[in-house]
Amino acid sequence: MNQDVLDLARLQFALTAGGHFLFVALTLGLATVVAVLQTRATFSRKPLHARMVRFWGQLYVINYAVGIVTGLVMEFQFGMAWSGLTHEAGNILGASLAVETIVAFFVESTFLGLWIFGWNRLNRWAHLAAIWIVVLTAYVSAYWILVSNGFLNHPVGYGSEDGELVLDDPLAVLTNPSALLAFGHIVAGALLTAGFFMAGVSAYHLFRRSPEWEFFGRSLRIGVFLSAPALMVTAIFGGVQFAVLDTFQPMKSAVFSGKTAEIARVQAELTERFGPGDYVPSEAWTRGGALLMLISFALMMYLCFAGVILAAFKKAVFRFRLWHLVLMAAVPLPYIAMISGWVFRESGRQPWVVYGLLKTEDAVSDLSSGTMRLSLIVFTTVFFLLAVLNAWLLTRHARRGPVDSGLGHDERPSRGGDGKDGEGEDEAPDPADALPAPRY
Amino acid sequence: METLAIALLAFFAAGWFVLAGADIGTGMLTPWLGRSDRERRLVLASFAPFFLGNEVWLVATAGVLIGCFPALEGELLSGRLLVLVALLTGWIVRDAGLWSRGRGPGPRWRAACDAAVTCGSWTVALSWGWLLAALLTGRPYAPATGPTAVLTALAVAALFAAHGLGFATLRLTGLPYERARRLVGRAGRPWQSFAFTAVLMAGLPLWAGTALPLAERAASPTTLGLLVPALLVVTPFLVAVQAWIWHTFRHRVTGPSYL
Repeated sequence: MNQDVLDLARLQFALTAGGHFLFVALTLGLATVVAVLQTRATFSRKPLHARMVRFWGQLYVINYAVGIVTGLVMEFQFGMAWSGLTHEAGNILGASLAVETIVAFFVESTFLGLWIFGWNRLNRWAHLAAIWIVVLTAYVSAYWILVSNGFLNHPVGYGSEDGELVLDDPLAVLTNPSALLAFGHIVAGALLTAGFFMAGVSAYHLFRRSPEWEFFGRSLRIGVFLSAPALMVTAIFGGVQFAVLDTFQPMKSAVFSGKTAEIARVQAELTERFGPGDYVPSEAWTRGGALLMLISFALMMYLCFAGVILAAFKKAVFRFRLWHLVLMAAVPLPYIAMISGWVFRESGRQPWVVYGLLKTEDAVSDLSSGTMRLSLIVFTTVFFLLAVLNAWLLTRHARRGPVDSGLGHDERPSRGGDGKDGEGEDEAPDPADALPAPRY
Repeated sequence: METLAIALLAFFAAGWFVLAGADIGTGMLTPWLGRSDRERRLVLASFAPFFLGNEVWLVATAGVLIGCFPALEGELLSGRLLVLVALLTGWIVRDAGLWSRGRGPGPRWRAACDAAVTCGSWTVALSWGWLLAALLTGRPYAPATGPTAVLTALAVAALFAAHGLGFATLRLTGLPYERARRLVGRAGRPWQSFAFTAVLMAGLPLWAGTALPLAERAASPTTLGLLVPALLVVTPFLVAVQAWIWHTFRHRVTGPSYL
């Protein structure tokens, strides 16, 4: 195998998956918050609640829309750069990816379109149902992706037929502990990201003493009170994952703790099982990822403890400007934790793409390094621009605050003027009726 | 099971060509249909509620391909990496333009986004032409080259544009409608032109798909036995939801939308 192509393909996968993951983190959490806000707004019918749905919903839509296209590259990349993977493990990996795209992603996008564009057209209960379907299918989507990833990290429920992996026990694949633990960890982490994001954006407006103090005071509290339990749940799932690491991936565990003797012992054991080779993953990436994740966890823990206490006092919520600054600065923390945790999970299992079954070097497509380099450059540039675009649009809309444009803005033409409401367009004559009769 | 898997693949691929083909075609023609900022916004509003639901048909097609024909998917996609890079880049640029248009500042920003939508739509259509050229000439594992590839790409892009034009005459009002109408010509009621191009669009991937050794390269029976029935159960539901969306937004557009 050409080492150059392998390195380029790995770099491309790391950058695109990591880039996509950053979008997902906020999308998944913020969607949940928006759905809960909309449920409250639908029942209470209070304008303030409805405005909260529209403001946070607008930020969610921006992040989703820019993030969705990064997911496309991910989906096609399995076949483009890792044809060995779909060849060897396609019977299992392919099936879960297929269910993810059709059962979850398809439904999610369809209903999101309905939610965005049907704002003033659907009955309010149908509109509420639409956002809940979007949220639930987003979770289903995350679950199926982690079933795929869980299989790569800890393959279960498979058999072998003519050198290809086949599905043996579907239930075992679906209840793979490596998938379920990661699912709990990531869902809670997504809520944590959304909580920090809400608190940070609200803190900006309170710091600026904007007239929307009631709106952002409430939002800041939601953010803070969401972050604390979300952080706890994330930590619990993370802790359990650490505990099972010894049995699932002993080498990663040894590298993480930096025990040279243990590394040598596992290396010898793996050499005996799988033949000669280097089974030690990159120490810098594995340990670096884990340490960065733990440091940001510790910082977030202090912030959450202090935040829960401070948010209980009205005066602190509206007036404590130093805290506002800290909350603004803390918005990137969950992202750092997310991405470094993912680096730890993925780089620690090297050199395997399917742990113990398929090596990364045997999974990469047979491509020329020029082709691989070109696609790396194109996708990296595009992803970088998308991340900048997303950050810019999010900042722009977060700073503008809840204004009456964008999401949910009523643009029905016949409103107001002639006193009719919405139904006017039904009566407009179809321009095609004025056509001359067809000549044959 | 293999036959059902092939039918699913054909269904989603044809669905993408008919549905997303319409909004991509309209996107290709945006500068001709809409001359001013406001008119262009109207043109984009004509497919705004649909395009998110339309484009996921291609995601679903890729899903069926990777789920039911995993090894074939790997060979097909890695062989055609360059074409796919072009296709995906066009798709991304187009979507980014659509979503950001109404969110940024000023008329220059909106003009840039309109250009992104137009260029992205052309890139997607031409990439599909390039992709199909290889399938139609019976060499599915490498990008097509030579005059055949160029001609096929142009012909496919023209079909996309014609399909989008038919869609535009069904959805638009005012001056953009008049322009679309003039381009379609007096070929009967507008839906007749759309129906005709829809049949051609649906036929295109089916014709190209005959070049693929699908039946021999399907996934293992256990995988198919679980996957195909599951997909068959959800597919009618997906179609029903899409039909509901098309029904909800069936009226001609007279004003701008969220985009």
